[in-house]
Amino acid sequence: MRFTIFQESRVGDREHNEDRVGYSYSRDVLLMVIADGMGGHLQGEVAAEIAVAEITRRFQQEARNKLKRPFDFLVSAIQSAHRAIVSHAVERNLLECPRTTCVACIVQNGRAFWAHAGDSRLYILRRGELVAATHDHSKVQQLIDSGAITPEAAAKHPDRNKIFSCLGGVVPPIIDPGQDVALEVGDTIMLSTDGFWAQIPANILGSMLRKQGILELMPGLLTEAHRRARGESDNISVVAMTWENQDDPNVADTQSLDDEQFESSTNTTQQLGGSGPLEDVSDDEIERAIQEIQNAIRKVPR
Amino acid sequence: MPQQANQPLPAGYVLNGYRIEKPLSSGGFSIVYLARDETGTPFAIKEYLPSSLPLRTDGVEVKIEDEGTLAIFRHGLKCFFEEGRALALISHPNVVRVENFFRANETCYMVMQYVRGRTLQFHIQRHRHEFSEAFIRRLFIHLMNGLREVHASKLLHLDIKPANIFVSMEGRPVLLDFGAARITLSEEGTKLKPMYTAGFAAPEHYRFRPEELGPWSDIYSVGATIYTCIAGTPPQAADAREEKDAIIPLRSLARQDYSKELFDIVDACLALDRMKRPQTAFELQKTLMEEPSEEKKSFLETINKPLSKLFSR
Repeated sequence: MRFTIFQESRVGDREHNEDRVGYSYSRDVLLMVIADGMGGHLQGEVAAEIAVAEITRRFQQEARNKLKRPFDFLVSAIQSAHRAIVSHAVERNLLECPRTTCVACIVQNGRAFWAHAGDSRLYILRRGELVAATHDHSKVQQLIDSGAITPEAAAKHPDRNKIFSCLGGVVPPIIDPGQDVALEVGDTIMLSTDGFWAQIPANILGSMLRKQGILELMPGLLTEAHRRARGESDNISVVAMTWENQDDPNVADTQSLDDEQFESSTNTTQQLGGSGPLEDVSDDEIERAIQEIQNAIRKVPR
Repeated sequence: MPQQANQPLPAGYVLNGYRIEKPLSSGGFSIVYLARDETGTPFAIKEYLPSSLPLRTDGVEVKIEDEGTLAIFRHGLKCFFEEGRALALISHPNVVRVENFFRANETCYMVMQYVRGRTLQFHIQRHRHEFSEAFIRRLFIHLMNGLREVHASKLLHLDIKPANIFVSMEGRPVLLDFGAARITLSEEGTKLKPMYTAGFAAPEHYRFRPEELGPWSDIYSVGATIYTCIAGTPPQAADAREEKDAIIPLRSLARQDYSKELFDIVDACLALDRMKRPQTAFELQKTLMEEPSEEKKSFLETINKPLSKLFSR
């Protein structure tokens, strides 16, 4: 595969960066993922961290060659990230479970597959036009869909940050699998959090992408998104990939990677340790633990 | 009190020979009930029931439909066992005693002695800024007896805070809630991830380098607890302090006279550098027992007075 990839996450005007971004690829398959930990909830960045780390972990475990069923993988990986967040909250006795949005995209065989929960977005831009996009799981999007408000009014709506699907909530997330799009040379897939997409409309993005490549364009656009928020910028994060001419020798080819080797980049801090799959605790183990405690109670004089 | 999505056991329900009277408290992880055995002896029974999982909407049985939830439920159960193991090893008047541990209703229960009284947190909220130096010293000298016992059993509590210190009607502090306790020298203990409470957890606890944790980590939390008794609010969280230490000096928050020595003790306990703290509960206990040099009413005289008399006005 030959592609160009860009990724950046900025804190904006907030005190902490609760966004996490990451990508990882092997010879034949690429994962991009972005998560926006929810402010107002305890430890939003922890939820985002777990989401990106867990989905990346699953990817590297299962995408040794290619993924057999990319959509099944995406839904299952996002669900397991949700469970890892809830289990983190249970283990640490957190009073409130941290939450996060999530959008993840797989590219293999020249096709893109994605799934999302919440209001972090994926766009596919082709020759300056938006050809595919996620549909936000947000209250304002519902209002727009029902015709109650215009997209312009949505940008200023007081409830514009309210979402009805996320990872880490009491209710399991609604996970929307996207389309399966055959990529054309020059297509750009972009994942972003609302700190970016709320400031930079897709049409502007499209017209600028006609003139510049993502590596030249994106850093300036992140700065512009920050500037437009006038001192109230949310965290701003983008992962973008442009699908290149597969025969262009000037673009690095993933075929140069070794077998089962992954190239990865992320802003996760990895301090959580692998919140891997939960080890199963069997009935026998439970009985043994109880027996052990009862013996200890009897042994220690009271 | 945090939201518990789950229905508590009904009053009158008989659980393995204990009759449930009422829920006493509910946390992120469990519901604690007041119950009595056949002889009428009261007990506090802790039911493992993570509040973030919808497990019981009606009846008494915990019902888990999907495998994912079951995995999370059982994983959390391990921590509940850790708590049971930790407490079963200790028998001391300043540490809550566990009397029984069993499985029922598809979950687990820990039966503890019932102590009449309130948590230190309740007293802090109710009597903000009213704790005299004598009361504080006396309370924590006794608490250190319990903590010494905990450490002597090669355990760390790791979640000492006002909500986990019970003060009996007679004024005896009892250390509760060993949900975060770790058996420090076992392999198993170091594999589990930490729980912590912001403001009370030591800096090394946030980093979770098991080799850095020790009695001094609990000492930090004790310092933060004394700080809260005096200031009415906990100190700045240790992880934030490590980035930029903006802890408000306790002296500036005190609303009554405390000795310089007491402030110094709290400062030492709250040192970010773990080597600069009192290294053991015994060491801290000794300094708490030293009579302050200034003219202060002798706290030792008050040691046997009932609790209600110790809140100075």
